[in-house]
Amino acid sequence: MKRNEFLTHWRRERHEWLAFAAFVFPNLVLFGVFTYWPVLNTAWMSMRSGGAGAYGTRFALFENYWRLFADPVFWRVILNTLVFAAAVIVIAQCVAFGVALLLNRRLCGRVLFRTLAFLPYVTTPAAAALVWVVLLDPQYGPLGAVYRAFGLEAVNLLERSGLALGALILVGAWKEIGIASLFFLAGFQNLPEECYEAANLEGASAWARLRHITVPLMSPVLFFLAVSGFIAAAKAFDIVVMMTEGGPVYPASSTFVYHLYRVAFQDYDFGYASAFAMVFFVLFMALTVLKLRMGAKWVHYDG
Amino acid sequence: MDRGGLREKTFLAAVALHLVAALVVGLMALPFFWALNTALKSDGEVLRHPAAWWPGEVTLAGFSEALQAAPFGRFYVNSVITALAATALQMGFALLMAYAFAAIRFPGKGVLLFLVLVTMLIPDELRLLPNYRIMARLNWLDTYWALIIPPAAHAFPVFVMVQQFRMIPKDLLDAAHVDGAGHFRRLVRVAIPLSKPTIAAATLIAFLGRWNDFLWPLVVIDRLSMRTLPIGLAYLQDVAEGMVRWNVLMAGSLIAVAPLLIAYMFAQRYFVAGLWRGALKG
Repeated sequence: MKRNEFLTHWRRERHEWLAFAAFVFPNLVLFGVFTYWPVLNTAWMSMRSGGAGAYGTRFALFENYWRLFADPVFWRVILNTLVFAAAVIVIAQCVAFGVALLLNRRLCGRVLFRTLAFLPYVTTPAAAALVWVVLLDPQYGPLGAVYRAFGLEAVNLLERSGLALGALILVGAWKEIGIASLFFLAGFQNLPEECYEAANLEGASAWARLRHITVPLMSPVLFFLAVSGFIAAAKAFDIVVMMTEGGPVYPASSTFVYHLYRVAFQDYDFGYASAFAMVFFVLFMALTVLKLRMGAKWVHYDG
Repeated sequence: MDRGGLREKTFLAAVALHLVAALVVGLMALPFFWALNTALKSDGEVLRHPAAWWPGEVTLAGFSEALQAAPFGRFYVNSVITALAATALQMGFALLMAYAFAAIRFPGKGVLLFLVLVTMLIPDELRLLPNYRIMARLNWLDTYWALIIPPAAHAFPVFVMVQQFRMIPKDLLDAAHVDGAGHFRRLVRVAIPLSKPTIAAATLIAFLGRWNDFLWPLVVIDRLSMRTLPIGLAYLQDVAEGMVRWNVLMAGSLIAVAPLLIAYMFAQRYFVAGLWRGALKG
């Protein structure tokens, strides 16, 4: 009976089904080979014994994970990544919020700003990082003159262990500010006029309007953008390679992905690196699910 | 307060606002300005301390050297070929798949679409090691194949195009069907022409991702002559830094970014539409 039903369906629908299969075939094969299988493979390999020289040969269950959790460099790299991503988001969002408040007024040059705001986002990160290396160098960049004007010692942030991560944060924030401010600007246009009219009638000050109307109404957008930006920033890799290579003394400014790259392709410790990648995956998934749930609730896709 | 005073106050406020806005814009544009400033300086002037805000004598020597520094032209060719090919495949496969999900009957296709879209939750870093080993097994390390084939399937353009194709009125597709057009003709003659702006946006975002990609090429490409621009810049940095040829490096960076900036200027609308969705995707 079931079989018969299938056959009648097949006779009637086979042109549709075959067309569907043919249309999705190229992508499905590529997803299978380069996405689904690698994910399973990484999970499996993370449970093979570690050690330099590609993959270990024996099954070791959680050995790599215990090694990872006992490794002070691992914790340092996690801390660096969290500090980096959090600082980038806080700085970029605060500045962007201010910029968006400014732009929300009638300001000439708004079109110019819109054009410029996306530029850091479009620019090749490797090239931008190289330019920042020059900018931060007190000899070849403009900072030398600034240091002298304030009577400070001319330091290169990238060569100080305590400051190198700060320099990376600066570059990360530079990239995010423009696009974040445009998001806020779009958010402002959706705020209900009535609230402001009512507040004006009651004689609320500009500060009170900002604190009690704009910020609360914008907080879902702020929160959503913060999580999105955090996820993107936590994957920082290009700028680390180009600007510090995790230095000046490793792992002073190393991030998660850069450390993964080093463990895998400089130490060739693939089993260990796979465990590392799995930890990254779990954290990434948790954040992404959080973001999607917030996005479904609060963000209207009308860009 | 009389009206004149008020007007004066708002005028001053407007001036202050513009100053603050100009400062922020200036800081955002500073790297672009400084790259150009340094690239146009001569070898001797680059070394001068403190660095000048304007080249004393404008010279294009940095640019010609960056282009002649043997491999740089080659990096360019590699980037153009692999980015264009990977983008074309990514969009071609995504259009086929998205059309299938939006307009062809198939049992259980909702589950299949879910399986495709969840790949957006998987960070590239997780797939890095196995994919590297696949490339090694296929002898694709140091070839264009490694840069073109693995990135050829991406869920993001599928996601965008499924949404777009679902908005096409069914009557239009059915009318083409009645005229005897098969699914492929319906896709090419009806669905694609009606979706040009969305396709343009998705294509630019795909191209941007390929052109700027750093981690994957760094892993699968080792030979100098096969490097793309981003990892070519990393190489140029290693070689040139010891010699402090910052004018050459800055010229190289500008040359690497130029096609993106030009494309952005001419197709800003589509870039913005795509980036908007892309940034929401995270």
